[in-house]
Amino acid sequence: MHVRLDKLTKRFGAVTAVDALDLEIRSGEFVSFLGPSGCGKTTTLLMVAGIYRPTEGAIIFGERRVEQLMPKDRGIGMVFQSYALYPHMTVAENIGFPLDVGRGVTKADRERRVREAAGLVHVDKLLERRPAQLSGGQQQRVALARALVKRPDILLLDEPLSNLDARLRHEMRGEIKRLQKEVGITSIFVTHDQLEALTMADRVAVMSDGVLQAYATPAELYARPANRFVAEFIGMPPMNFFPTELAARNGSTVARAEGIEIELVLATARAGAARHATVGIRPEHLAIVSPGEGQARGEVFVVEPMGREQIVDVQVGERRLRAIAPPGFAGKIGDSVGLRVSPEQVHLFDPTSGQRLS
Amino acid sequence: MASVEMPTGARRLRPLSAAPYVVLAVATLPILVLYAWFLYGSFFPRVEGLVPIGAFTFDNWRFLWDPLSVPQMRNRPAVIPLTINTFIFAAATALAVLLVSAMAGYAFSRLRFPGRRMFLGGILLLHSFPSVTLLIALFVVLRALGLYDQLLGVILAKTAFELPFGIWIMKGFFDTIPWDLEMSALVDGAGRLRTWWKVMLPLVKPGLLALGLLSFVQGWNEFLLPYVFMPSGTQQTLSTLVRGILGEGRFVDYGLLTAVGLYYVAPVLVLFLIAQEQLMRIYQGGVKG
Repeated sequence: MHVRLDKLTKRFGAVTAVDALDLEIRSGEFVSFLGPSGCGKTTTLLMVAGIYRPTEGAIIFGERRVEQLMPKDRGIGMVFQSYALYPHMTVAENIGFPLDVGRGVTKADRERRVREAAGLVHVDKLLERRPAQLSGGQQQRVALARALVKRPDILLLDEPLSNLDARLRHEMRGEIKRLQKEVGITSIFVTHDQLEALTMADRVAVMSDGVLQAYATPAELYARPANRFVAEFIGMPPMNFFPTELAARNGSTVARAEGIEIELVLATARAGAARHATVGIRPEHLAIVSPGEGQARGEVFVVEPMGREQIVDVQVGERRLRAIAPPGFAGKIGDSVGLRVSPEQVHLFDPTSGQRLS
Repeated sequence: MASVEMPTGARRLRPLSAAPYVVLAVATLPILVLYAWFLYGSFFPRVEGLVPIGAFTFDNWRFLWDPLSVPQMRNRPAVIPLTINTFIFAAATALAVLLVSAMAGYAFSRLRFPGRRMFLGGILLLHSFPSVTLLIALFVVLRALGLYDQLLGVILAKTAFELPFGIWIMKGFFDTIPWDLEMSALVDGAGRLRTWWKVMLPLVKPGLLALGLLSFVQGWNEFLLPYVFMPSGTQQTLSTLVRGILGEGRFVDYGLLTAVGLYYVAPVLVLFLIAQEQLMRIYQGGVKG
């Protein structure tokens, strides 16, 4: 089911929670709404679900405008952050609840479909239990089965993994992704965790303060963030930012800051006209080299070994840049080092608007 | 629920820790004596002060099987119909309170409608209204409706007095149910009514049981309303009978009074014994897991 949001707006009194959101979701696509809490992602989801009525704008499922329809008439299934299992019903009754409503489903048919949905998420051995007798992961699976049992056109997931412990979260991440592709259901997944969004979704809609900041594939978001907010929000540890002055030299452009001088290759016309720019470099793109080499020079501030790699903070003039070094790096606090970045890994942002320049 | 085992050392009574028990026992003694007097008084021919006189007897309980031999019972409605009346009165009140409170409590907890705050404030105000002050107005209204001297009229009046408390309690229970459950029910295809009936009500069952029980007891114990609004006797309740015996002539038969009194409170005591667990659960909240 193709989904389109058109100038979708939700205001609570004077607060605009979602501001003229335009978004298209292709049939069968797995889209994630990503953003810090209060960014409007859950509000948007609840509007799609039909729990909130939009203040303005349209929600279109296929050819049908649905923003005035009740949730039950929209053909959606939903998994809540708390799972929202009915505590007084068994697993089988929980999964079967959506089938009891409306169109007549025969008893045999109902039982078959409950088993089928339960089997899909491997809870078919737990049908007689009650939610309180299930682990968090099992509750999550039951919630998924309940959302899918009606064979909805669209699956909505509101922070479904945030109540699980780290190991289970990893496991369910993979499982939900696989299930989504197996069933082929158009899905929207709300999360504040960039790792979940990047690993699971086909496309990620990054939101902040009710405004869509970027809508792209995980790879694009990482490689070419559309603005500073997206650049900062995506990537762990976060990108280094510092203000620079741009100057022309020998036909190319150079970005300068205290202790740093980077020759840029990708200077577009827009960047070429600017005099100042905020430079962004991901820690994993900063290599630690001998002092005197590379484009920046500083001294080691602290080293944090992480096993597979080490995070090294380097004091460069007034500011500190974070770099990732291989496990073999043996620098100590106070050592002089150089930092190297390849010019195509340098992101340029407008210092005032935050928009991407390069 | 996992229970925490107390280290055995902490349970040994040290001299000082007995002090609260001593104080409480002394303070409670008058009340205990009162209950004891009430109990043994009905099984002895006479009580002088606190001392029973004579041999153990069921004579005071004659009103149950031979009411005509008890002078004070002669001009009164029989005990069994009175008991049935009392039961109907209490049960009907409890049911009506439950039905209205369960619906109104849900509405106050979940729906935003004009005047909601005003209604909520009004409920609290009504709850603190003594029913005596409304007797005259009630009389006028009941007579106008043709419900004066009718059991139904008293049931409606009693229900009205109990509703503020009931609605407030049920609103509190509904408030503890996460919104997610309701949203989930809506997405799963249920309408408001179905959500209320299939998802919400089962989750406030402890509240319904407790409120039902309390309302029943309130109805069972009610004296003023039946006494004032059902004067003709055939529809009266047990509380008015006790009042009648107490107010009979110059001299009160304490044996009969305690027997009738015991007969009157016995159902309430039994009910509490049976339902103790349910009543305790009122504080555990509706939703687990």
